[in-house]
Amino acid sequence: MPGKQLLMTFPVTATSHTLDDYRCRDGYATLERVLRQQTCEDVTREVTAAGLLGHGGAAFPAGRKWSVVNLNDGQPHYLCANADEGEPGTFKDRWILENAPHRLLESMLIAAYALQVRHCFVYIRGEFDLPYRRLAAAIEEAYAAGYCGERILGTDFACDIVAYRGAGSYVCGEASGLLSSLEGKRGYPRNRPPRLTVQGLYRRPTVVNNVETLANVTGIVANGADWYRSFGTPKSPGTQLVSISGHIARPGVYEVEYGYPLTKFVYEDCGGLTGAAALKALIPGGISTKVLTGAECEGVTYDHQSLAAAGSSVGSGGMIAIAEGTCMVRLLQVMLRFYHHESCGQCTPCREGTGWMHRIIDRIVAGRGRPGDVESLLEISRRNDGTTICGMGDAAGYATVGILAKFRDEFDYWIEHGRSRLMGKLEVGIDA
Amino acid sequence: MPEIFIDGHPVQAEPGQSVLQVALANGFYIPYFCWHPALSVAGNCRICCVQVEGRSWAEISCNLPVTEGMRILTDSDVVREQRRATLQFITLNHPVDCGICDKAGECTLQDYHYAYNGRPSISLEPKVRADKFHALSGRILLDNERCILCSRCVRFTREKSKSHALGIKRRGDESLLRAAEDHALDTDWYSDNIIDICPVGALLSRSFLYKARVWYLQPVPSVCPGCARGCAVDLWVRKPQWRLKSLAAKQNTSIMRVTPHGTPGIDGPWICNKGRDLARIFERPRALQALRKGQPVEYGVAVVAARKLVADAKRAVALVSNWGSNEQLTAFRDRLGTRFTVYIKHDHMPQSGEPVEDDFLIRADKNPNTAGAVALFGARSDRAAEFPADTDLVLVWGEGCDFTRLPRGVKIVFLNAYLQPENGHADVFLPVTIQMERPGHYTNGDGVVQAFVAAVAPPPGVADAATLFAALAASEVIPA
Amino acid sequence: MKHLIPEFERLKARFPAGFESSLVLPCVRRIQEDRGFVADSDIDGLVAYLGVPRIQIEEVLSYYTQFRRTPVGRWHLQTCRNVSCSMCGAERLIAHVGASLGIGPGETTADGRITFSTVECLGSCGTAPVVVVNETYHESMSIERLDALLRELG
Repeated sequence: MPGKQLLMTFPVTATSHTLDDYRCRDGYATLERVLRQQTCEDVTREVTAAGLLGHGGAAFPAGRKWSVVNLNDGQPHYLCANADEGEPGTFKDRWILENAPHRLLESMLIAAYALQVRHCFVYIRGEFDLPYRRLAAAIEEAYAAGYCGERILGTDFACDIVAYRGAGSYVCGEASGLLSSLEGKRGYPRNRPPRLTVQGLYRRPTVVNNVETLANVTGIVANGADWYRSFGTPKSPGTQLVSISGHIARPGVYEVEYGYPLTKFVYEDCGGLTGAAALKALIPGGISTKVLTGAECEGVTYDHQSLAAAGSSVGSGGMIAIAEGTCMVRLLQVMLRFYHHESCGQCTPCREGTGWMHRIIDRIVAGRGRPGDVESLLEISRRNDGTTICGMGDAAGYATVGILAKFRDEFDYWIEHGRSRLMGKLEVGIDA
Repeated sequence: MPEIFIDGHPVQAEPGQSVLQVALANGFYIPYFCWHPALSVAGNCRICCVQVEGRSWAEISCNLPVTEGMRILTDSDVVREQRRATLQFITLNHPVDCGICDKAGECTLQDYHYAYNGRPSISLEPKVRADKFHALSGRILLDNERCILCSRCVRFTREKSKSHALGIKRRGDESLLRAAEDHALDTDWYSDNIIDICPVGALLSRSFLYKARVWYLQPVPSVCPGCARGCAVDLWVRKPQWRLKSLAAKQNTSIMRVTPHGTPGIDGPWICNKGRDLARIFERPRALQALRKGQPVEYGVAVVAARKLVADAKRAVALVSNWGSNEQLTAFRDRLGTRFTVYIKHDHMPQSGEPVEDDFLIRADKNPNTAGAVALFGARSDRAAEFPADTDLVLVWGEGCDFTRLPRGVKIVFLNAYLQPENGHADVFLPVTIQMERPGHYTNGDGVVQAFVAAVAPPPGVADAATLFAALAASEVIPA
Repeated sequence: MKHLIPEFERLKARFPAGFESSLVLPCVRRIQEDRGFVADSDIDGLVAYLGVPRIQIEEVLSYYTQFRRTPVGRWHLQTCRNVSCSMCGAERLIAHVGASLGIGPGETTADGRITFSTVECLGSCGTAPVVVVNETYHESMSIERLDALLRELG
């Protein structure tokens, strides 16, 4: 395993997701201790001191997000776990939902106590059927055992948790789009200001945290900030669940301690590339993070600082390994088709830009590319960067700019010759 | 009061204002499509970008709260480039069919293209096609290709008219404005406002479709007589220099459309659909011929006959019109007031299917100047049963009087503008002008006095009622 | 939809007061599970039950890819075509489904048994390519396993 573990600390069995098994792993002991012995401020202070970063993509410090909520404003506050894991290449939260749903619930109850939240929601993407059923069953178990509802564990603390299913929309993974959806509307993201911690769900202060971020709260509160900081690096404390896919020998979810060497993870822990191919490129954190070439991965450690220095980011932990021989033009085409399909259509640059880019790359792939097409793609990407309501416009641009910056020759070849230099292959090692 | 600097100039802002609001209030123009002063902030068009000094990027000003000492640039290189890029996006799939678009000449997109972009599209891709002439309601057509999805119309139906009649369906660049399937837009009595607030030519009025290029028209300030709210409106008629012999006479003089004048405090920028349809009231067949017991007579002859009836009456009752202007009502009081027992007649009552009253603009009194009439004559009922028993003459001014309910045997002098069956039943009938043919003032239900001006010349053979009252009171006949 | 109201009431009890609008998505999903799609009469019923504007439900139905207002086949076969799946053979799978069933994405077989769609990332990238039949994930698919699956559904 790539470093020490915080979450994947137990063997996954046919029953490891149940309450009984969770209790055997000291489940809900931390909640009980918090409710009996700690104040709201204690919890937030510990989470802040631990330096827990958001694990959903933006890496915003969780403690800082929490501390914006004014506990004495006399209005309801809401907490929402973001389980709308939709960033292509990402399936790590699914592991928690399927195998450790009670860990999420206990953490949410602790967070709800800290933030004085009466109603919590888990917004789970509509396609996740098994994860939803596991989570819903866990919620029922928690209610039956008195961990949810009124007078939790005999204290005055009361909290309800609802599992809320999305219905197929990538932008609902963006916190404000998620809240629009949770209000029973289209998943239109919202302009900031106001921040969601000031006006979120139904205009009430709302904290939206990624599933994995929340799942770490129990451990931090149980063992203390110093213990959490003993994992990872000083600036990137803790671990990251990494889901790796693509041309990789052993795809799946791994818990990677921050600071772990990137190529060691790919080649040793994941068994290298399919068919022992060479690493052409690596997408480190979902397709919206900038791609790294195989050479750029050398010497990089898996943490926020090292990946940023290499020109990319941890993102959502959705790693995609790309073998030598893969056609990057076709790869970008698949990505741009996705962004075009998922743009909510609310604001101008993303609504028009994603379709525009998709049509340009379709034309290139159809052999009708023209000089200037690559410049157009770059210009559209630039005009989406930071100009849209949510980060989706930026994301489409990052993916495009990342690939064009490093694999431009493949695009120029296709435009000049009307065909791919790599036969348009996305699969490698298979004679298609 | 925070002080901010726009393009280097210090301006005072109210706390809570956005940069866009402060800029517009202080004479700095920032372009905007989706923002509207009376609607919530959507922040979706992205054209209103500005640069905060010291930052390398442009951000939208409609959702940027002012902070003390903030320094804003509205026309920096960064802003100019971003605006141009945004216009490239907006026009990417826009058909640019200004040549056949009713909005041309008053289209925000057209103006901004010339002001801020001015370049041909850099796109090589074919435009995404969408629906043309999609019927949103019986009154409004939608051109989805022209629509820039600013959502102003959607927000209007949710925040103002509250019909929730519109929404945006599907997503991405396939998003389409659509009417709710329960046809709520057909019963939204304020629906036509969305045509005005559409910044492009996407929403089209069926009644104005292809009727005139707007630059041939001029707005004439007027007051809607549809109810006691008295919304300030503009009646759009052909400019005198563009009245063409080749056009039918009616087209040269008719009301082509009605829009809100936007008087602060009375109706804001909105009017109801009844106001849009003033032509249906004003352009009914007109009475152009004076009558005596149903027989055509010279106007002067009719006036003499009427004057004699007035002079001979022992007990004369007048039913004055609450569609009369303050000037006309005053003329009646000054010239004839002492000779008549005066009742205020309600010319119009709510029609079937018409909303009687709501909590937005529409008032139950379907007449423009009841308050003006009451101020002069007091609030007396116009019910015939309450007329003095010895009434021998009734002067009826305006519509809405059922002659069969007048006391039997009384003489009737009738002043009316429209061709109606009652005209022939009066002892003397005198055709008069309508609101759009003369200037005047109305006092609305809240006591606000508003002016209207003449939009067109009166047809030959009719007189202003104010002139007639003088004639009826005078000893000499004044020719019409 | 009326027979589902007792279920909706239980759902409502978990939400704070004033969250009726939030019930649109779960109610629509439940109706679709029940009927296979959302009929116009269901929308009317939901408008009456939740007191939300009809347009909100119409927008939601047209915005989310999982909701539908027309019936699909007995089996709804969806193949992911996003990055990781395409890198592991999804494009060949899609072509193979099309050839085997004689229909393209978005179409239903003449006998109404199978509707075939392509979808974007389903969060199953590590076990790519993935095919979903109704709600069930079939992961690490190959042409052979797909043939077996189609025989099972056929």
